[in-house]
Amino acid sequence: MQSVIGGAYSGRRRLVAERFPRARWHRLVKGEGAEECLAGHAGREVLVVDGIAAWLSAALAEIPDDDALRETWLRLLDGLVAAPCEVVLILDEMGRGIVPMDPAARRLRDHNGWLAQAAVERSRTAWYMRHGLCKQLK
Amino acid sequence: MIAFVSGGARSGKSRHAEGLARQWQAAGGGELVYLATARAADAEMAARIARHRRERGAGWHTLEVPLALDSALAEVGVGNTVLLDCLTLWSSQWLYAGGGREAEGEALLARVIEVARARDIALVVVSNDLNEDIPPTDAETWRYLAFLQRLHRQLAREADRVIEVVAGMALEWKAIDRQPSGERDVETRR
Repeated sequence: MQSVIGGAYSGRRRLVAERFPRARWHRLVKGEGAEECLAGHAGREVLVVDGIAAWLSAALAEIPDDDALRETWLRLLDGLVAAPCEVVLILDEMGRGIVPMDPAARRLRDHNGWLAQAAVERSRTAWYMRHGLCKQLK
Repeated sequence: MIAFVSGGARSGKSRHAEGLARQWQAAGGGELVYLATARAADAEMAARIARHRRERGAGWHTLEVPLALDSALAEVGVGNTVLLDCLTLWSSQWLYAGGGREAEGEALLARVIEVARARDIALVVVSNDLNEDIPPTDAETWRYLAFLQRLHRQLAREADRVIEVVAGMALEWKAIDRQPSGERDVETRR
């Protein structure tokens, strides 16, 4: 697996589209797991998985228990790592602002950060995008 | 030469940008021009402007330009060094005080870059990194963020140097090895 992390409108999707012009894109839908991402996907082509923040927001509302939530996104990541094809995961950097007043927003920020760490840890290569420029993290 | 310097609040980005502008001016000659986008709308803003002015020290020719950056830059003498502080404030004034549209704002920034290149102006642009916070919950903030980020990506693409400032330290994101603009002038002036 490979990961690309960056803030809003940092140019992640353009970078991925340029590097993997023939990849198939899958936007994660609420409640999906790795199986749904990989369904009907030929082993040879690259699969780009996008929309993880929205997926996580939805999961947050459904799963009040933090351990259960963690299990859910870990299962998704492990499923993507084990995929027979190359997976490129688009991740969101959202941890560099003021601590949100709203507890739900704080919880999203926490889980998103943990998820990103776990994803990059499981990735062979990882990139950080900032204002359209990228740095290789690993 | 064009540099894009950005970072979080109180990261030392203005200070770093000023140092870079002075360095370029020392190498290339010409005047130091400060393009100030801030307007003293209230006492806090006035104090902020006064603090920035004090910290900048002597030697700057200040132009207050809340909106028309392109025409202001066109008035700056050839070969001078310009510090534009800051693009974030300009972008919000463009959308909300000036009633400007996004596409026109991007075209204006393109003209600023074009004028700087054509007039051999060493340009240092300061802005705030705002896109790594929790995603906005309203459409208007998304619109603003999208606009600001289009400006940032445009600038990062065109700039010779892109610098992130963290706690007063500079992280280099892009450094194109180009002759300082003034050095070519030295030849013509001799």
